[in-house]
Amino acid sequence: MSNTVKVPTWKESFLEPIIANNPVMIQILGICSSLAVTSSMKTAFVMGLSVTFVATVANVAVSLVRNYVPNSVRIIAQMTIIASLVILVDQLLKAFAFDLSKQLSVYVGLIITNCIVMGRTEGFALKYPPLPSLFDGLGNGLGYMLVLCVVATIRELFGSGTWFGLTVFQSVNNGGWYVPCGFLVMPPCAFFLLGMLIWAIKTMRKDLQEPNEYDTHREDY
Amino acid sequence: MFKLNKDSVFGTLVIISCFCLVCSVLVSSAVVVLEPYKAAAVANNRQINILNVSGFELKGSVAKTYAAHIEPRLLDVEKGVLLTADEVKAQNIKDVDGYDFAALSKKPGVSVKIEKAKDTAGIGSRAKLMPVYLSKDDAGKVQRVILPFYGQALWSTVYGYVAIDPVDGNTVKGVTFYQHGETPGLGGEIENPRWQALWVNKKINNESGEYKFRISKNADHTGAGKDFDVDALSGATLTSRGVNDFTAYWLSDAYKPFLEKLGKGEIKLNE
Repeated sequence: MSNTVKVPTWKESFLEPIIANNPVMIQILGICSSLAVTSSMKTAFVMGLSVTFVATVANVAVSLVRNYVPNSVRIIAQMTIIASLVILVDQLLKAFAFDLSKQLSVYVGLIITNCIVMGRTEGFALKYPPLPSLFDGLGNGLGYMLVLCVVATIRELFGSGTWFGLTVFQSVNNGGWYVPCGFLVMPPCAFFLLGMLIWAIKTMRKDLQEPNEYDTHREDY
Repeated sequence: MFKLNKDSVFGTLVIISCFCLVCSVLVSSAVVVLEPYKAAAVANNRQINILNVSGFELKGSVAKTYAAHIEPRLLDVEKGVLLTADEVKAQNIKDVDGYDFAALSKKPGVSVKIEKAKDTAGIGSRAKLMPVYLSKDDAGKVQRVILPFYGQALWSTVYGYVAIDPVDGNTVKGVTFYQHGETPGLGGEIENPRWQALWVNKKINNESGEYKFRISKNADHTGAGKDFDVDALSGATLTSRGVNDFTAYWLSDAYKPFLEKLGKGEIKLNE
């Protein structure tokens, strides 16, 4: 194994994925779970934490064994590590946060198939030493969590008038004034919110826009 | 020193076996170590759900309220009688409150097979004894009888509790579902308190004793069915049908002897 590859500094590997290379907004990975668990802040937050934990530890573990993993079965080896970690998280949630684990239901188990975790171990941890891998996993997990929390804040606040389960706007059903927007708690809404988020971030940061794949001002058009 | 070529067939086998071994030890030890905590969480969850249909507000901690208002008993399902403390002792049952009817439902000796034709719950067999929770007010008077019930819905076995009026043995006072794997947002809406509220004050049998309770797309809100019909959940036809069918098994068949005795006053809960 040649060590001539340039190892990214911790700043690069940690800060890049939070906004500039955000796994959800820029790479459009892990969309499925971010749609499913963002109807309330509690589930989104715990899901974000779980993914951050799994991504970080999996990255470090894969990076530690990167020189021993046979190339032909490297995906399986990564899956084994990731799956074990996810089961660990699932068991911990069942033991200490039973209610939340019921609400998150299958989505904790589905972290195994979350493209972010797999993508980082395959794309980063297999090439670089443990320390940068740790920051990379942490950065990507937090980037995912950031998006989840932003979407969940909007959905819970305007969809049910609460935040983290605390009443912010007293809803009509509970004798208040706020008529909750029922559409916001439905899964498709997360899609629209995510789309608008991507739009907003790419408008603010022009450098994140991809170049057109075609030329709109061609003479022969 | 013997050098293992990691990319040879043999090397791949050895390395990946070691990997799996380490991971499986990690996973299984985590499961074993966390077992007591999970059991406690499950018990706490059960108590919360029973209190949900008990008609009593949570005061202080869950365990406190539970101890103050709920008395767990065991029911001999076939005979329809509650076991006395001595009978429970004679059978060597230590944990009445957490009597695990689901785990015992297939165990020979303590379970019975259900005839195929009658088994609308799709469970095959059930425990001979079922836990029954008596919900008592501060004076010790039984206000509700809480019965566990379960069965196959669309994707999963759904578990729940139904609270029955102890005086007529025929009026539903509340329902809750505490474990299921139905689609969140569709079948999962059986958890929705607003739907569960539709069950309250529905009757199980009509005056001539025929089982009439049902969950239906064509629920009758004004005519003859208004005391018996609950609206099915929209977007969850199969889950609703499953819940309807297993409710029918438990209330019209399994618990029938007990409920009849309650209605006729043969079982006196308040003495």
